[in-house]
Amino acid sequence: MQHFSAPKLMAHNLLIHYSMMRSLHQKGLRLLGILLTAAGPLCCAYAQMPNDAIYMGKKTACLAVSYTHSSWDQYWENSLKRENLNIGTHTTQSVMPMLAVGITKDFNAIVALPYVWTQASAGNLRWQKGVQDASLWLKYRFLNKSGFSLHAIAGASIPATNYIPDFLPMSIGIQCKTATARLLASYRHKSGVYLTASGSYIFRSKITIDRDSYQADDRLYNSNKVSVPNAYDASARLGYLKKAIQAEGFIEYGACDGGDNIRRNDMPFPTNNMRATLVGVYAKYQPKNIGVNARASHAISGRNMGQSTAFSVGVLYQFRYAKDANN
Amino acid sequence: MKINYISLRPPITRYVIPALAVMMLWSCSKTVDEPTAGISSPSSLDENAGTWKPYLLASASEIPVAEPKQATSEDYKAELKKLKDATDAVTPQQREQINYWGAGAVFRWNEIARELCARYNSPPASTPDGKYPLPDAANPLKDPKFPFANPPYAARAMAYLSVAQYDALVAAWNYKFKYNRKAPSKNDASIKTLLPVSDLPSYPSEDAVVAEVSVVILKAMFPGEVPYLEAKLAEHKHSRISAGLNVDSDIAAGSELGKAVGAKIMARAKTDKMSAANGQAMTAAMIANAKKIGVTEPWVSQEFPPRPPMLPTYGFVKPWNFDSATVVALRPEAPPVIGSPAFQKDMDELLKIAKGQTREQARIASFWSDGVGSYTPPGHWHRKGAQLCHENKYSEVRTARALALLGTTMQDAGICCWDVKYYYYYPRPNQMSSKIKTSVGLPNFPSYTSGHSTFSGAAAEVLAHIFPSSKKEVDDMASEASISRIYGLIHYRFDCEVGLATGHKIGSYAVQRAKTDGAE
Repeated sequence: MQHFSAPKLMAHNLLIHYSMMRSLHQKGLRLLGILLTAAGPLCCAYAQMPNDAIYMGKKTACLAVSYTHSSWDQYWENSLKRENLNIGTHTTQSVMPMLAVGITKDFNAIVALPYVWTQASAGNLRWQKGVQDASLWLKYRFLNKSGFSLHAIAGASIPATNYIPDFLPMSIGIQCKTATARLLASYRHKSGVYLTASGSYIFRSKITIDRDSYQADDRLYNSNKVSVPNAYDASARLGYLKKAIQAEGFIEYGACDGGDNIRRNDMPFPTNNMRATLVGVYAKYQPKNIGVNARASHAISGRNMGQSTAFSVGVLYQFRYAKDANN
Repeated sequence: MKINYISLRPPITRYVIPALAVMMLWSCSKTVDEPTAGISSPSSLDENAGTWKPYLLASASEIPVAEPKQATSEDYKAELKKLKDATDAVTPQQREQINYWGAGAVFRWNEIARELCARYNSPPASTPDGKYPLPDAANPLKDPKFPFANPPYAARAMAYLSVAQYDALVAAWNYKFKYNRKAPSKNDASIKTLLPVSDLPSYPSEDAVVAEVSVVILKAMFPGEVPYLEAKLAEHKHSRISAGLNVDSDIAAGSELGKAVGAKIMARAKTDKMSAANGQAMTAAMIANAKKIGVTEPWVSQEFPPRPPMLPTYGFVKPWNFDSATVVALRPEAPPVIGSPAFQKDMDELLKIAKGQTREQARIASFWSDGVGSYTPPGHWHRKGAQLCHENKYSEVRTARALALLGTTMQDAGICCWDVKYYYYYPRPNQMSSKIKTSVGLPNFPSYTSGHSTFSGAAAEVLAHIFPSSKKEVDDMASEASISRIYGLIHYRFDCEVGLATGHKIGSYAVQRAKTDGAE
């Protein structure tokens, strides 16, 4: 019985939500969204690692491709909830191939690489598109007893292309390299009902922008290096998993560890303290090697980002990559 | 082909943890290194600067500065004693401040002004009823903040600042060499100095002059920053005492002179027609005129709700290096007729970039964007000018002169360009094709000619004259700034090329002044 690591995809979706938050018109330069997509809950490296307790069996792998559509027409400028008629509805879409590999039954690796494109329904800001950040996640179950399990998860991401990081909210990412440390606990009852909780800390590197002057923290920096705050996240999910079916509801919170706020009527910037609480549902159906999944989420509160609503669907294909699979 | 994956597990964990540790370390540093400016060490005293031509003062001696007490006087000796005590008690924080201001008084106040321009460069948000409230000078910190330091505003603020610094320093140099009071440490060798000491006479203090005159101008330009500016002023003046470079009476005389010059300069600012630069009532007549001269589809705001155009009567503000009749004379010929082959050619170029803007085009557009939240193109060029002065080891007064020539030509460029923009009222490319979206933000005023190009042409003309060995560099910068507006998809090529050429013409007037102001 092999399970796929599709949840990572979902994680990615979250990211995208974050990214959406950028908005504003008129200033023109910065695009941030990219970052978000790439990272974890908030920023850069979130990409897909599991926020689940599911593992691929040894010598099996799962290839998944997901499509995500995330949009917002309101955002939080600092704490002010507003619309922006020069953006209208901001949409981020992505297609992400992801490969999860069962190295042992307690140790999985996941890699993913999204292609992201953005657009605004109104105003004059130019769309952006491109391959965003490559991510790698390692997931290790170090305790597994009576349905209760503990997992240590490590992730890293690195921008795969030279996309523009500071043209938020149109940017597809923010060019951070990230490293994530996550602890995840799960309990699964024999009935198939499970409860999973996780928390992570995301280290984010400085980035380099095309300009050699920018504002952050209420001051002017005469440099092209930008210090992006680290981030953290927490999530809880309650679901049912048995045989071919998985269904869950979740709540996720992501925030930057510091950072500044969007200035009045200005554009977002990678230094912003983006925060959001998302609620959503996820379901997967995988009767055989081929499966499908879907996810929906909505931001119920936030700061310095868009109030996104996102949907994603994915196709999963599980296979053995070596003989003697034994799980 | 079988691979035993089990054996991988321990090595993987073994490598992953150190790898993560390394990544964490590298991402932990959140400090951004900014270019540091070294201590200024002027290569010349510019002894004759007291004879250079001021902008607004009738002469270098228009404002009297009293003769200082003799070096042999008891009063002065008491001041030296007090100075010695101050330098003996310097704290590490004061030491830092000494070094900060040691980069140059004009250099630092120019930098402070650029930062204020950036911090106040925010367009007002629209209200729920679709209006854009005007910033209120009487309530500068209320939303929307006053001022909205857009490019014309920033050009003017920086022009007044640099002119005020220059006139005040010409006056200061006059008295310095008239009274010839030696530096404190040259009168008393036991005074420890924390910055290099030259043979420049110390009375009145050039630092106090610059600090005080700068604060007079900047308080008027940024009335919400009074406490910040006063703190900087006190810190600057005190740094000269703790560095052992000026006694109290040097500072006091400099302060008085700075204040008096500041008042003279502000008298011009009050009557330069800036207060009438937002003449929205005149746009209907401007549009009618543009139609009459063949602009079939005049500019309209592309914002929602439509925003009133930026400072439509800024073209009537009083220029520095020529008169308002010359502004009209410098107006370039009309842009191509909309729909004509010349128009279509440049439009096609934009449509092509709109489809496939390259990363390099995006980089150039972003580097020169200087849009909302930035110090604007005039600020960008002031930064370059200040840097060149510093690299070339200019004295305070020569730095002020370079920045005054630059600052005045920047505002002249702004005035001329705004005149052209509202004379032709030409539509932005984005108005003519919805396929054209910008990667830098769309300015809310007519297209022809490009402001960036005009500012940059004028700046390059002036900087190339002052720093001939940097001519190629500044010309290349100006060309790149100009073309960046095509790459950013907000200007036609003809906007940029005509703007750049006109900018050079505008700059030549400041160059003419430079040749005759007594400094060359």
